[in-house]
Amino acid sequence: MKTGDAFSIKELLPELQESLPDVYVDDLLVSLKYFIDEAQAHLKIKDHAVCARCQYKPCIDFCPVSVYTLAHDGRIHIAYQACVECGSCRVGCPYKNIEWTLPRGGFGVAYKFG
Amino acid sequence: MNTNNEKIYFDAIVVGAGLAGSAAAMVMARGGLNVALIERGQKAGGKNYFGGAIYTHAIREVLPDFMERRPPFERPVTEAGFWMLSKDGSLARMTVQGGKLDVEPADAYTASRAVFDAWWTEQAQQAGALLIPKTTVVDFIRDSAGQVIGVTTDRAQGDVYAPVVIVCEGVNNLLTQKLGLIDHDLEPAHMALAFKQVIALPMDTINARFGLPDEKHGVAASVLGDVSMGLPGMGFVYTNKTSVSVGLGLMLDVAVEYRLKPYEVLQRYLRHPVIAPLIKGGQLLEYGAHLIPEGGYHDMPKLYTGGAMVAGDAASMVNALHWEGTNMAIVAGKLAAETALEAHQRGDFSAQTLSHYEARLKEGFILKDMKQYRNFAHFLEMHPNFMQAYPEFINEALEQFFSAYGQPKKRLFRNMLGSLTSRRQLFRAMGDMVSMGRAVMGW
Repeated sequence: MKTGDAFSIKELLPELQESLPDVYVDDLLVSLKYFIDEAQAHLKIKDHAVCARCQYKPCIDFCPVSVYTLAHDGRIHIAYQACVECGSCRVGCPYKNIEWTLPRGGFGVAYKFG
Repeated sequence: MNTNNEKIYFDAIVVGAGLAGSAAAMVMARGGLNVALIERGQKAGGKNYFGGAIYTHAIREVLPDFMERRPPFERPVTEAGFWMLSKDGSLARMTVQGGKLDVEPADAYTASRAVFDAWWTEQAQQAGALLIPKTTVVDFIRDSAGQVIGVTTDRAQGDVYAPVVIVCEGVNNLLTQKLGLIDHDLEPAHMALAFKQVIALPMDTINARFGLPDEKHGVAASVLGDVSMGLPGMGFVYTNKTSVSVGLGLMLDVAVEYRLKPYEVLQRYLRHPVIAPLIKGGQLLEYGAHLIPEGGYHDMPKLYTGGAMVAGDAASMVNALHWEGTNMAIVAGKLAAETALEAHQRGDFSAQTLSHYEARLKEGFILKDMKQYRNFAHFLEMHPNFMQAYPEFINEALEQFFSAYGQPKKRLFRNMLGSLTSRRQLFRAMGDMVSMGRAVMGW
């Protein structure tokens, strides 16, 4: 995968793209238990100017719990409360523009089954 | 635990109460060391998510009487193999069942990690290790020579000292990088983003749908073909007692570049005509996601430095082709612990002494297998369609072989060959087989 400004996207064949159903991710998130750290966000954007330059903003899609959304002001909004701490954005952000830390001890996702 | 000038001292620290960490803590505590087992979750296992099995050969190495301690397994894996899905909804199975798989204790069991890891950690506590939950290790304490002599945590006055630290932090190898054992994040192309749903179903329904006589039998299947939309990835199905665990893994670079929404790819898979009837009427118990370090041998960090060792996912100890990783974590945790015990006997925690950890790993299956399969990740990278084209070919070829279309059979074999060559030119297919063989045999 190319990174930085060299990052580019690939397209699925149209029939494959159409075969993907719409899913309301909140229907899945209700199954998860969290201890939410209201005082401290463990995920931050390092530099919003970099996100502004990022043409494709793939984090909005590939995050498995949809932590990243595009806010009305065009900036990336982080719903860190929904994070399952998988680390995909930490290594998958083409600009490595996410300051990714673990939640403070005891906080974050608490899988009941796993 | 000794406190001296308010400093907290242990004989050894383990970071992370997962499979590797609790194995390490258990073995060291049994060897007489005061062990601090530091876990960032509320409970052990709360951060872990897998589509997989626990292997008893590894459990037995650490805990020979494990069956008497009533491990909270789900079902034994009495049937294991590959399912190959076609686009039109047919299923070809290549599985093995019964025989040596159907013994007690079985070779492998499905499990819920939140439940199993908590039990596994209790065994370490019973051996004398002190579990310190809800505590995140953020860095190391070093002496003037750079040797690791403890960890700093996110608690107030949270420094903890010990002459040896075993890092079992999992796939996000932040601490392993801080130790200087690896100087980069793992590449997205070398990591699988795995996600699944745990779906509740009555025990009898699971037995009937999977053809199992009772809850003492279970299925583990890798699902290939029309699963990952022709992209490098693989599905899985595991039966628990009263739930099934259904999900898939995609290489992370693919998820990023194609901007795939994992939950949509999962839903597409769950709606496949082969999968949907298996989970029909089930209730979602839990959705989740985790990364798997599948880069293999070439992605492994250096495994030790003065005062510290690393085991499990943090060290990329995963054999993706054989679904192994949980067993490597446990055995590596044990071998690191034995090395720590040896270091205590010698009173020497230098890199020189801790290098015996690597020697121990080389003697057993872990580094032998990791080395043999060292080029497998690269093979899959170079053959992105491998997991789809061939399973679909096998499916179609079998369907043709066992269907009577009232056509001369001479045409049958031409059609079967056509099923292959429409997907891959014949000489390329032969080349793929040779490359695959080389990657698996380690030539």
